[in-house]
Amino acid sequence: MRIGTLKESYVADAALFDSRTQKVWLAVAAALLLLFPFMASDYWLYLACLVSINVASATGLNILTGYTGLVSLGQAAFMGLGAYTVAVLETRVGTPFVLNLLAGGLVAMLGGIVVGIPSLRVKGLYLAIATIAASFIAHFIFANWKFTGGTGGLSVPPAKLFGLPLDTSFRLYWVIVPVTVLMLLGAANLFRTRVGRAFIAIRDRDISAEVLGIPLLRYKLLSFGLSSFYAGVAGGLWAYFFRVVTPESFPLLMSIFFLAAIIVGGMGSILGGILGAVFMTMVPELLKLVVDLLPGGNELTVFLSPVRTVVFGLLIIGFLVFEPQGLAEVWRRIRRFFHLWPFRN
Amino acid sequence: MPTTNASPMSQRRRSLLLAAGATLAAPLTATAQASGEDIVIGGSIPLTGVFAFAGVGINAGIGDYVKMVNDAGGIKGRKLKYVPEDTGYKVDVSVAAYKKITSQNKVNLYYGDSTGFSKTINPELDRAGTTLMAGASFASELNDPKKYPNQFLVGPDYTEMFGILLKHIAKEKPGAKVAFVYSDSEFGRDPIDKSEAAAKALGLSVPVKIMTPAGSVDVSGEVIKLRRAAPDYTIFHGYILAPIPEFITQGKQQGMTSKWMGTFWTMDSSTVMKMGEAADGFMGVMPYRYYYDTEKAPMLEKIRALRPEYQSTAYIQGFLAAMLFTESAKRCLDAGKPLDGKNLKAALNSIKDFDTGGLIGVPITISGNSIPVGRVYRADMKAQKMVAASDWIKL
Repeated sequence: MRIGTLKESYVADAALFDSRTQKVWLAVAAALLLLFPFMASDYWLYLACLVSINVASATGLNILTGYTGLVSLGQAAFMGLGAYTVAVLETRVGTPFVLNLLAGGLVAMLGGIVVGIPSLRVKGLYLAIATIAASFIAHFIFANWKFTGGTGGLSVPPAKLFGLPLDTSFRLYWVIVPVTVLMLLGAANLFRTRVGRAFIAIRDRDISAEVLGIPLLRYKLLSFGLSSFYAGVAGGLWAYFFRVVTPESFPLLMSIFFLAAIIVGGMGSILGGILGAVFMTMVPELLKLVVDLLPGGNELTVFLSPVRTVVFGLLIIGFLVFEPQGLAEVWRRIRRFFHLWPFRN
Repeated sequence: MPTTNASPMSQRRRSLLLAAGATLAAPLTATAQASGEDIVIGGSIPLTGVFAFAGVGINAGIGDYVKMVNDAGGIKGRKLKYVPEDTGYKVDVSVAAYKKITSQNKVNLYYGDSTGFSKTINPELDRAGTTLMAGASFASELNDPKKYPNQFLVGPDYTEMFGILLKHIAKEKPGAKVAFVYSDSEFGRDPIDKSEAAAKALGLSVPVKIMTPAGSVDVSGEVIKLRRAAPDYTIFHGYILAPIPEFITQGKQQGMTSKWMGTFWTMDSSTVMKMGEAADGFMGVMPYRYYYDTEKAPMLEKIRALRPEYQSTAYIQGFLAAMLFTESAKRCLDAGKPLDGKNLKAALNSIKDFDTGGLIGVPITISGNSIPVGRVYRADMKAQKMVAASDWIKL
């Protein structure tokens, strides 16, 4: 049982992890992440990498939508920018993959800043529509520019680390997961700084934020830039993971997927982005595993496949109705329960 | 201020956690369990999503053929095992299905659901070298044995489909004007440039190429453009149904005399019949016989005995894919070679003048990655059937 948290200084108050229990559990989680590739089959490793990429991108969107209050439906387009940058650099220039990933992030960041300009005038749904334009423009450029391989897209050779091709999920895991963890730490720390707090101030009331001395132009665009940087790096990882980048790889539906992920997970919470991305990626797969356990063979699979997608939809609606603050809030409640366990529940 | 105090876990709680951990880890460790001597056909099958209309048929087709082979004793005493997984027609889910099936089975043969998947999984197929793959895609890009050594197409690629139609047109009306109407997608754009050149080589002209957004509904502007070009034939590609009926209805209302044509995914009988009366005479290329064809086809008779109700062309496609998989495996085993990607592909390429039991009306030879054979069928709306409009055309 844990009664409370003693904080004796501002530094302690602003610390990311405030208790020993939390640190122990984080160490356990880190150890599990390290051990996971040696325990899991290729299928689970693949899913781990996919979840990881989705977590990175969802966290980016969370910075923009969850923390700054700017709704965007352009996340997939920014991922596309990152993925294409990586694909082009890898196939035509041959620079090291770390540089390519960074370049992917930076190109997406520039794209994000440009797309973010209307956010100075429009908010909410209007901004969402404005960002949809990014999806269409990006798709048009990818599909019609010979440089990006047209509709057929580009095939990406595997990333190489010290001459070793990263061509399996096992090898890629050691790049994708650490990069995502770094990005998560970056995002969590961001909200301990002036910049992050400015984002939150803008979300809560942009006019008041401006009165408080936060230049909206700079911070809104910075939020767009950071969010797109995350999407770009995630897109770069995606390119190395799937090894084929086509204009149809990053549809509008993918942006909606990320928006749904942060809503289901909990907007304005780093943990929410993680849980949401895990939920949206893994629940359909887990439902499949449940269906697999049922006897009945092929015929039942055909019958239950549509049922499964309906169940997934109902689960999302269920979470939104019963826990509008998302999975992060469910998590917090579970934690609170254990803090007081066994004395009160 | 409250204080921190992390109490040690009770024994019971610890054991509970351990048990939960073990339960969670159990499926993770269930790695490759070799399934005895079975020959495994894995499948990323779109049982849900936009392509489910075909996926359900493909699944039934593969399943039925596998059952037929197993009922007849398997291949050289070895049973076939079909392991499908729903993909929702999403590439990432398809790859997950592939990883899942290959983690749990020693997969020799695989059916993929889309061009995107075929392209994405190709490096993995090459790396593993254990599997031969076919799929629902007829993308011209895949018809390259050097780039895609472990894959094949269960029919002509899209450019070859156009080739078959153009050959038919050149014979029926030399020097005809042919318009191309296609969707703005990888699928739609696939055969256009090469087919324009092929048309010219056959002495045909292409007065207009119209690209529409995928899934567009209002096409009145495009119809006017098409009418101005006054083509003798209009070939649609990159669509399933919409906006083809709109084009035909409006075109006819505006006095167009063009003949209307489509490619494989438009040409299922049930799809064409949905176009209604206006589409009477609609033609298109079909590499297989229709379920109800009356010409001699022993395999179709077996299918009809097994399933008395109409089966789609997607069903026939899945059925034929399984047949070619089986034939390749049989040839490999006959030669005493292990069932890996390279040997299976070599066995597939040794298929010469092979009788598909009438699913394709002529004996087939697979020298590369495709089967460049097809036939032009025409819609007879009164009989609610597709009827042959040409002989089998080989490229």
